[in-house]
Amino acid sequence: MSRFLIVTLPLTGHAHRAVAIADELSARGHEVAWCGPKSYFRPLLGPDATLFPTGTRLFRDQAGHGIAALKSLWQQYIIPMARFMLPTVNRAMLAYQPDMVVADQHALAGALVAHRHGLPWATLVTEAMELTHPLAALPRVDAWVRAQLASLCREAGVTDAGFDPLFSPYLLIAFTTPALTGEQPFPGHFVLVGPAMLERPGAFAWELLDPARRKVLITVGTMATGLAADFYQRAAEAVAPLAATVQAIAVGPADLLPDPPGNVLVVPSVPMLALLPRLDAVISHGGMNTVCETLAHGVPLVLAPIRHDQPVVASQVVRAGAGIRVPFSRVRPGQLREALVTILDDPSYRGAAMRIRNSFAAAGGAPAAAAHLESLVQVAR
Amino acid sequence: MTAVEITAGDMAAALAAATGDESLLSAGISAATRLERDLCLDSLDLVALGALLRDRYGTAVDLVGYVAGLDIDEIIELTVGDVSDYVNRCRPTQRRAERPAEQPQ
Repeated sequence: MSRFLIVTLPLTGHAHRAVAIADELSARGHEVAWCGPKSYFRPLLGPDATLFPTGTRLFRDQAGHGIAALKSLWQQYIIPMARFMLPTVNRAMLAYQPDMVVADQHALAGALVAHRHGLPWATLVTEAMELTHPLAALPRVDAWVRAQLASLCREAGVTDAGFDPLFSPYLLIAFTTPALTGEQPFPGHFVLVGPAMLERPGAFAWELLDPARRKVLITVGTMATGLAADFYQRAAEAVAPLAATVQAIAVGPADLLPDPPGNVLVVPSVPMLALLPRLDAVISHGGMNTVCETLAHGVPLVLAPIRHDQPVVASQVVRAGAGIRVPFSRVRPGQLREALVTILDDPSYRGAAMRIRNSFAAAGGAPAAAAHLESLVQVAR
Repeated sequence: MTAVEITAGDMAAALAAATGDESLLSAGISAATRLERDLCLDSLDLVALGALLRDRYGTAVDLVGYVAGLDIDEIIELTVGDVSDYVNRCRPTQRRAERPAEQPQ
């Protein structure tokens, strides 16, 4: 039995992957403890989980898109969150005495504290922002990110030149496969396990689904609902004329689409993993979680990326042949409809999505990730 | 022989052609319009714009290379005027009359 301290962010795409791995570790007889805000993690983990609460800190809404969004993600979220979490992670380290730390790539406090205590740590790559170095094309932006990281490390008392809190030198677990990243010369301690999926429970009125029509899910995930209203309106206009053959399910608060067309259901949430086998296409912003869950079911996508790693994810899906990218802010309903009809009617898109599904299934998911963590901790003990 | 300098109007035409968004022609684009903040251009749009500017204004125009040399705030604040100034610097001796016909979309 080993003890794992998990340090992740209170965000669906990050925390849910960690929970899937923690469940797997527990099933193998290990102990797991968590660091994070109680208000988010207690309901997610249940009353019996060991949680070192950080308290809750509200962060300003991040800027809309592009490089400005990237800048605010680092300046207003990732770096302040690391600072905010450092004392609690440190306390957890002393109180819990873990054998190793499992740190989300953007929950930097985990890497910093593990390194300071000389403990092995693994990186969980839950986004597409770092793994394939998309910022290499903008070297001065990349240098700016590096400078933010270096300054945080100095502040945390870590001054080793070779230390990179984004990339563990022991083990890096990425929730993707080369079917998406492309074949890359990844170091030997990088393992690509495909998605680790966790059902988000939610009621759903299954009887409203029409088995005779093709089903399309429209979702911008949990993060960007503020930007979504206008896009949902255009998406509704895109699918309305397809009413004879297409039924759409738009995920979001009811006021997002106050007067939806007859073939569009608006629901506050969906049990994604239960719904996906019934879907023919997904229209999404391209969040890594949504995209990987969708592709794990062999369903093609129309992607309208907004910011952060979403353009990277979208271009990976397009390159793999499993979807079409459209501009989030500018796409007209006609253009969106054309893209949707193309992925519904041209079997090559579903074929490519099925190939990715197969690569995901072969990659092992959460059980494979847990096995890699287990091997590392056994070597380290 | 000096080139006729390209204007914000030429840039609006190039942006409309590169993005396929005709509404940009009547969007009141000026030299001060910011590509990212005001027009929501993303990295793919920039690549498409770069290819189009190269076709129209000569192989010396390398917009992606130009942007790669900018720092984070320069990219966030990059304006239509910055890009037209850059293109004008790339083609000091080429005449506007020599530019090829517009490419069909």
